[in-house]
Amino acid sequence: MAIIEKLPDKIRARFEQDPLFSAKTDLRSNGHFGEQWIAFTEQELTLWERDGLQLLKIGMNDLKEARAVNGVGGGTLLADTAKGPVVVARYTAALSPLFGFAAKLLTAIAKGEERPAVSEKEFPRYCPTCDNPLSEGTQVCPVCKNNGKVIARMLKYAKPYKSQMIGAGFLLVLTTLVELIPPYLTKVMIDDVLQPKNMGSALLTIVAGLGLTALLLSVMQTVRGLIGVWVGSKLMGDLRKDIYSALMRLSLAFFDRRQTSQFIGRVNSDSEAMRQFMTDGVIWVSGESLRVIAIFVIMFSLDWKLTLFALLPMPFMVIVSMKMWPKIGRRWYQQWRSIFRLNVLVGDSLQGIRVVKAFGQESTEMSRYSEANREVVRHNIRIEGLWQGMFPLFSFIAGLGTLLIWYNGGRSVLQDELQLGTLMALIAYLTMLFGPLQWVSQMINWASNALSAADRVFEIMDTPSEVPDVRDPAPIGTIKGEVAFNRVTYGYEKHHPVIKDISLHVKPGEMIGLVGHSGAGKSTFINMICRFYDTDEGSITIDGVDLRRISQSDLRKQIGVVLQETFLFDGTIAENIAYSKPDATPIDIMRAAKIANAHDFIVRLPDGYDTRVGERGHRLSGGEKQRVSIARAIIHDPRILILDEATASVDTETERQIQEAITRLIEGRTTFAIAHRLSTLRNADRLVVLERGKIVEVGTHEELLDRKGAYHKLVEAQQELSKIKGVEG
Amino acid sequence: MKDRYEIAIADPEEVIFSRGQGGVFQGVVGGKPYEELIVYRAFPFLYTTQFISIRDAKGEELCIIRDIAELDDESLKEIERELQFRYFLPRVTRVDSVKQKSDLWLWELQTNLGATRIAMRNLHEHMQFPGGNRIILTDINGKRCEITDWQALDGHSRKQLTDVV
Ligand SMILES: Nc1ncnc2c1ncn2[C@@H]1O[C@H](COP(=O)(O)OP(=O)(O)O)[C@@H](O)[C@H]1O
Ligand SMILES: [Mg+2]
Repeated sequence: MAIIEKLPDKIRARFEQDPLFSAKTDLRSNGHFGEQWIAFTEQELTLWERDGLQLLKIGMNDLKEARAVNGVGGGTLLADTAKGPVVVARYTAALSPLFGFAAKLLTAIAKGEERPAVSEKEFPRYCPTCDNPLSEGTQVCPVCKNNGKVIARMLKYAKPYKSQMIGAGFLLVLTTLVELIPPYLTKVMIDDVLQPKNMGSALLTIVAGLGLTALLLSVMQTVRGLIGVWVGSKLMGDLRKDIYSALMRLSLAFFDRRQTSQFIGRVNSDSEAMRQFMTDGVIWVSGESLRVIAIFVIMFSLDWKLTLFALLPMPFMVIVSMKMWPKIGRRWYQQWRSIFRLNVLVGDSLQGIRVVKAFGQESTEMSRYSEANREVVRHNIRIEGLWQGMFPLFSFIAGLGTLLIWYNGGRSVLQDELQLGTLMALIAYLTMLFGPLQWVSQMINWASNALSAADRVFEIMDTPSEVPDVRDPAPIGTIKGEVAFNRVTYGYEKHHPVIKDISLHVKPGEMIGLVGHSGAGKSTFINMICRFYDTDEGSITIDGVDLRRISQSDLRKQIGVVLQETFLFDGTIAENIAYSKPDATPIDIMRAAKIANAHDFIVRLPDGYDTRVGERGHRLSGGEKQRVSIARAIIHDPRILILDEATASVDTETERQIQEAITRLIEGRTTFAIAHRLSTLRNADRLVVLERGKIVEVGTHEELLDRKGAYHKLVEAQQELSKIKGVEG
Repeated sequence: MKDRYEIAIADPEEVIFSRGQGGVFQGVVGGKPYEELIVYRAFPFLYTTQFISIRDAKGEELCIIRDIAELDDESLKEIERELQFRYFLPRVTRVDSVKQKSDLWLWELQTNLGATRIAMRNLHEHMQFPGGNRIILTDINGKRCEITDWQALDGHSRKQLTDVV
């Protein structure tokens, strides 16, 4: 098994056979950008310049261990030799997975251990055609992706409303054509009625004709407007739904890295921008281009020479539009980003409003807000100003065409080469051209706004879930509850593992207590069971089936969680308890609450089970919320129960009550419990002591106490603490 | 006995840093030699050369250097180099271009550590504004570059930046 990035020939020539491993660094030894090559065989580790100059050589028998020491934004591959540590190579963060693997492989060779297996994740991937980095989980390079695709994809949303859109389009064509009639009628009026002073039925007929077209126009415009509103609202509903379901589908890791309240605004504003383009935009563009063509056809047939003057400014306008297009797109995005920052800020301070008030920091928040607000205003002026400036420019340029027609047409009329009516009609048609022209700049505006919105929306939709479901998941039915960790390693940031090489076999119905200092990785451990995150190495099985082979909805049906940070949804207590089982009867709900020791306090509330708990359940005390969430877990009737510091924030009496509830709850279920007070875990079948992501001890309370190891220390520290607490009363 | 809850500010006279044969940062702290030391910036954005935490290979803090300028020349040189290695944050000296290709933003940059190119999926998650005119750019793979003051860059660079900051 050799891991090879193809070595330059000059270096390759120095080896008799392919080395075990070779790779290009992206930094030079002095920390500057550049490349050097590392390669190693069973005998030696070497570093090279591209031209074949050897920079470093370490014999494998001198090597004790190799480490990838990751700094911030980059890292160093270190070799521990008999003579002390040696810097082998430096690299940027892009290559840390690769060098992390190199370090593991080197260590394995040095120590004569089993060689680690490579996983695809460890290699940075670049697009084969354009050499830009590929983001994780994607196969297509965004640069090489077809540009027109975004528009096509956006238009797909309009597809279900094709017939309505076509109807609206048809009406638009009709309107356009009808709109073209009045100037012609005017021409007839001037040339055939007014100038010959030929009073007859003709005047009345023409005026009636003008009135009729006006009426027809307004009727058609109304109908089309209504269709537009209908299609638009439906479309927007579809878009919002899709964005929201895309968000729901994403894994926790996605939300870990982002402030979540930003999405509230994004769902609405981005879908609105897209809708505007698709309904108003598409209909108008097709309608207006049609109108432009029709106008030119009529104008050409009236007088083709004069019409050419009107065409003169066109190329100029096209060029200006083309040049402005990317700039406008960027400015829209810029403006969007400033609003985005403002939203993030608002979301943050409102979520933390209690802290803000508690520390009396309202004015700080206000000044932070006004600073961000100023930016929004500035960008708003920039973008609006840009296109406000554009439209007048366009009309002025187009107006030059009119002037030319007036001048040349006027001369022709004076020389009796042209009828006055024809000139008037030409001018009237030319004025009508301004409409579409205005829409050109408006359209540029809409389209670029919509495209940048679509980019962001599709980015969310395209983000692959980091915990994907397999295509044909293994049916698990009701599980027994056997859970096994096989050499599991996981880190929120890659190559900064939080859980390291953990193996644990849990029998069905067993209760496991997880203990360790805060930050030891206890919560992460249980997150892995829920499959909120996938292991980096190793696997977790339930009843012998790999978690990744189980569909997530099946899995979650079998798992119930009670977390320290209880979250109650806006709704009544009953709704919150029945969250995972909407068809629960009132009896079911009360029974669950009773087991959770919550029934009594709930009934005593004036509104009983119908008490609205509002956003995050602020109206309940910590212990009450906790018990409601335990009831929620009970009604779920899971085979595997997870309690993460479920009793951390309550007094001893409440804790005793909750503890009682939990004891009833865990019967016959596999349970993983994390508790701050070690005494609450005393009746666990086994205690697992975690320290910096590793299991250091496993055993019952008594066994571990006897061993006088890490657990013993934790217990002692806590006893000391409770003594102090005792003094305090 | 040292107070465990006190920040141990090092006496500049008592620390010496150097580079080992293998190129590893090492030194003597409080009279005790260490063959490998790790430097941490306590305030990587605000104070790049002050409040440097010195730790042993296991990550235990040995002391804090209040300001590396107080160290002797040799130590200063080495700790500066080491900080640059560990906090890989090239300083942008010129922005050659900022292009948007489909949904990837490509930046061509000149930095104090040589020319480089970074790619971002979007700007709103990969450009940070820690304050002032400072900008931190992060690319898809986590590589970062810093613009210390974008207003102070040359005209060409500022022009490239106007529509993205
Ligand atoms: N969502 C997250 N993203 C990044 N790091 C995290 C996240 N959650 C926890 N960590 C880190 O992982 C480590 C273990 O955390 P955790 O499992 O919550 O510890 P415990 O529950 O034992 O107190 C901590 O160092 C913490 O900073
Ligand atoms: Mg925790």
